[in-house]
Amino acid sequence: MNYIFSLTMSMMEGVQYTVGLFLITVLFSIPLGLALTLLRNSKNGVFRGVTGFYVWLMRGTPLLLQLFFFYFGLPNLPFVGQYLVLGRFEAACITFILNYAAYFCEIFRGGILSVDAGQYEAAQVLGFSKWQTNFKIVFPQMLKVCLPSISNECITLVKDTALITAISVTEILYFAKAAVNRDTNATAYIVAAVFYLIMTYGLTRLFRWLERKFHY
Amino acid sequence: MSMIEVKNLKKSFGGDIVLDGIDFRVEKGQTVSVIGPSGAGKSTMLRCLINLETADGGDICISGNYLMKDGHYVSDKQRRAVCARMGMVFQNFHLFPHLSVLKNLMLAPVNAKKLTHEEAHQKADALLKKVGLDGKQKAMPSELSGGQKQRVAIARALMMEPDLLLFDEPTSALDPQLTGEVLAVIQELARENMTMIVVTHEMGFAKGVSDKILFMGDHRIIEEGTPDEIFNHPKDARITEFVSKIL
Ligand SMILES: Nc1ncnc2c1ncn2[C@@H]1O[C@H](COP(=O)(O)OP(=O)(O)O)[C@@H](O)[C@H]1O
Ligand SMILES: [Mg+2]
Repeated sequence: MNYIFSLTMSMMEGVQYTVGLFLITVLFSIPLGLALTLLRNSKNGVFRGVTGFYVWLMRGTPLLLQLFFFYFGLPNLPFVGQYLVLGRFEAACITFILNYAAYFCEIFRGGILSVDAGQYEAAQVLGFSKWQTNFKIVFPQMLKVCLPSISNECITLVKDTALITAISVTEILYFAKAAVNRDTNATAYIVAAVFYLIMTYGLTRLFRWLERKFHY
Repeated sequence: MSMIEVKNLKKSFGGDIVLDGIDFRVEKGQTVSVIGPSGAGKSTMLRCLINLETADGGDICISGNYLMKDGHYVSDKQRRAVCARMGMVFQNFHLFPHLSVLKNLMLAPVNAKKLTHEEAHQKADALLKKVGLDGKQKAMPSELSGGQKQRVAIARALMMEPDLLLFDEPTSALDPQLTGEVLAVIQELARENMTMIVVTHEMGFAKGVSDKILFMGDHRIIEEGTPDEIFNHPKDARITEFVSKIL
């Protein structure tokens, strides 16, 4: 019991990175994803092409590879590499934001396509500007459609945070692995699993509440 | 000066001509019904008037202000200003499903800074009363019947105090027993001398409420006249045929 307690306490230190990465990623990748969606749906073919390529690239390659690229790869680029040395956690945040924005972009795109054309026409004849139409009419309706996918994505994100142990950020799994190696005892993995379960369960409840709130 | 004057309006989709030179005018306070077979171009014509479709040629002039002159549109800013004088009611209502009835009404005038929040609230209450929906302020659109939705849509259009109101088959999506409540609201507006263009298949309504009827067919206005002229003494055989089919 004491052993489990001490494991829990040491992992609590890792929680700040896990939760920190989660929150920072959600906070920045959702607006970035939304902006990408608007570009992806824009009339300008160059914007559409560039965002399409970006989404293809980010979704078509492993997140772990991207993480290695930003942390280990960038500093080795010729000429500019020396200016691109990132801290471990910084590299993790940037990679996750860029990667998740691509997923959110695709989720939002589907949601926007589901908004009836009549909504835009009603908004236009009532004198709404483009921004007002997007923010007051389209996005709220899109959000309702997208909530289940956003929820899935956030739960995946919680679990993906464990990847950053690969660049030695001291998050939950990092402590678990260290404890297992030190004590030759697998209990730490189980304690870590409970941490992740608590977080994903909390998120599931949060999104269920949001879905009820957005039900109209 | 006419409330709306349309000259030689042309529109095609791809190679298909849909409006082949439309001319008509509507005076302030008139109710004009547009009737004719499906596919004649009635919706397209209304949509061109309020800038939901881009026409190919002609003049559209709203109380002296051109939307389009000789096939050339005015600047975006002027277009918005001209269209702000018009409201439109759609066949499928297009209420904002995520907003309550009250917010559906208040959003546009508040957005446009036409009314303050309080003014909009008061006006919305008054208009809901007028269309017989007092007490439905907090209801969501999904909780309303089709007839109620359409009456909310009419109230929503009236919030912007348009000089001219366009209706595109306002009762065609409704169960027959619900059309009456919507037509009654439009009739009431006609009595108050609201200027309106109503595309409709309700011949009894068109006969009763219109100052003028436009019969559209084959992408043109085939005949225009008073209800008596159109229904009792039509000059064109196509009108006789259409009216006999629909009645
Ligand atoms: N967006 C569009 N693209 C292509 N064709 C269209 C479009 N809208 C209408 N049409 C065509 O234009 C013709 C007139 O349509 P419409 O104006 O809806 O007629 P009405 O309202 O009199 O039934 C129809 O043949 C229809 O198929
Ligand atoms: Mg039509």
